[in-house]
Amino acid sequence: MAECILVCKSAGASVRRMRLVAGQALGEALHLKLGWLLVAVGAALVLMARWLRDFNFGAMELKFLADFGLGAIGLLGTLLAALVTAQLFFNDLERGMPACVLTRPIRRWEYMGGKLAGVMAALALYVGALMFVLAVVIAVRERELGATYLSLRVILQMGALAWLKFTLVAAMTLLVCSYAGSALFASSAGLLLAIAGHLRSFTEASGQFALLRAWPNLAKFDAEPWLAGAGVGGGALLALIGYWALFLGLLAGLAAYVFEHREF
Amino acid sequence: MRELSEVSWAIELENFGKCHRVGWTGRRAVAVHPLSLKVARGEVWGLLGPNGSGKSTTLKALAGLIRPTSGHCRIMGHPAGSAVARALVGYLAESPQFPPHQTGRDYLHYCAGLSGVPSRERAQRVAEILTRTGLAAAADGALATYSKGMRQRLGLAQAMVHEPAVLLLDEPASGLDPEGRLDLARLIRELAGRGSAVVFSSHLVTQAAAICDRIAVLSCGRLLAAGTPAELLGENARSAELSPLEKFYWERVHG
Repeated sequence: MAECILVCKSAGASVRRMRLVAGQALGEALHLKLGWLLVAVGAALVLMARWLRDFNFGAMELKFLADFGLGAIGLLGTLLAALVTAQLFFNDLERGMPACVLTRPIRRWEYMGGKLAGVMAALALYVGALMFVLAVVIAVRERELGATYLSLRVILQMGALAWLKFTLVAAMTLLVCSYAGSALFASSAGLLLAIAGHLRSFTEASGQFALLRAWPNLAKFDAEPWLAGAGVGGGALLALIGYWALFLGLLAGLAAYVFEHREF
Repeated sequence: MRELSEVSWAIELENFGKCHRVGWTGRRAVAVHPLSLKVARGEVWGLLGPNGSGKSTTLKALAGLIRPTSGHCRIMGHPAGSAVARALVGYLAESPQFPPHQTGRDYLHYCAGLSGVPSRERAQRVAEILTRTGLAAAADGALATYSKGMRQRLGLAQAMVHEPAVLLLDEPASGLDPEGRLDLARLIRELAGRGSAVVFSSHLVTQAAAICDRIAVLSCGRLLAAGTPAELLGENARSAELSPLEKFYWERVHG
């Protein structure tokens, strides 16, 4: 009888419930055809860089490969983060999952946290797959040319930066999902918020749109400036992680607060 | 916290009312007018009424999915929607859908985990509930291959997997064949026999009369009548568990 089941309010119980939701979300994300379609398009774009290298605008060939590949991953990753987050959230809503899940002794912030953790794990896999393709393309060309451009350490750092950025886009989309009525609206609004995050650095230069400065600056996670300096230094990486953690916490907290007041 | 055994009523609705805001103007639409009901432990209540009568809204409020606009809903003395109340409730939504790639067994493991069933007991509890709901043979098949009736049975299984003290079922007979409906009736009576309070909504008046200890009739969000089937329907309330057509079907299918 349920009288025997205690409602466990400990942090361990919260983590356990979030892990269950995250595992479920990850499983669903890996079965999402849209996600793998976008990964396949991204991989094709990265591979295309090999044939587009003649149009390198005077840049070094290996630099062009890295720039084009990272650009493709950045574009497709942003799309992936927004679309997969919205799709996973609204798949649940359309299936009446809140009725199954939220009527159990799980807090709504645990549900949102678990969902975000699942999306973050799925994004790690997607980014890993795309970075692997990019690393292979660059390594093959380096061998053909007998030159070295990017070390494995730098490629891993670029992958980590991309992942940090995409998880922020996922958190922005989750914030929209917490009150939105459709996946189309949530993914479109999530993408618009991501664009605002990319344009955020211009507000500092122009001194206009001061309100936008409260929004995370996604350009901080762009790989290109770091490539010139052969990677990210330990201190800069830690500062970036701190910046990311602050905004991820704020966005996820706000999403959980809004979701707490939603009725089904 | 009060001991659950000290609480006399499993469910208490005290002047529960619900209004929805509709459209851009935020116009208030009344879903349920103030309604008071008390359900004892081990009692089976049927909520009957046409579409839009407020049955699902009442069940959702008890499950904690919506908040009352007025009044109170309590589960074993705890406010509906609180973590303790949710631990005591099993809820089946109308026409439930499930992740198509998962198996029935995996899905029930997930639900049992969220409900706080200890991991060492989970496998046994899931196997038991799969047998009780007649899904044991299909337990390891992908949910995408489940028929509507099987999904409904799985919905029942997920609501009962943690052996709740209060079971809330929204149209549980929807999509079930006559055999499934008899199984459902048996399951509901079995749960009530173990001390659980069961409240379900239905359009099937004869079935409700056969299963329920008490019936509440709702229309347009108002409680029209409440009482035992005998009080409401007279002596013929429990005369037939199956309609003549159902009896014919049963005899043909099961010899």
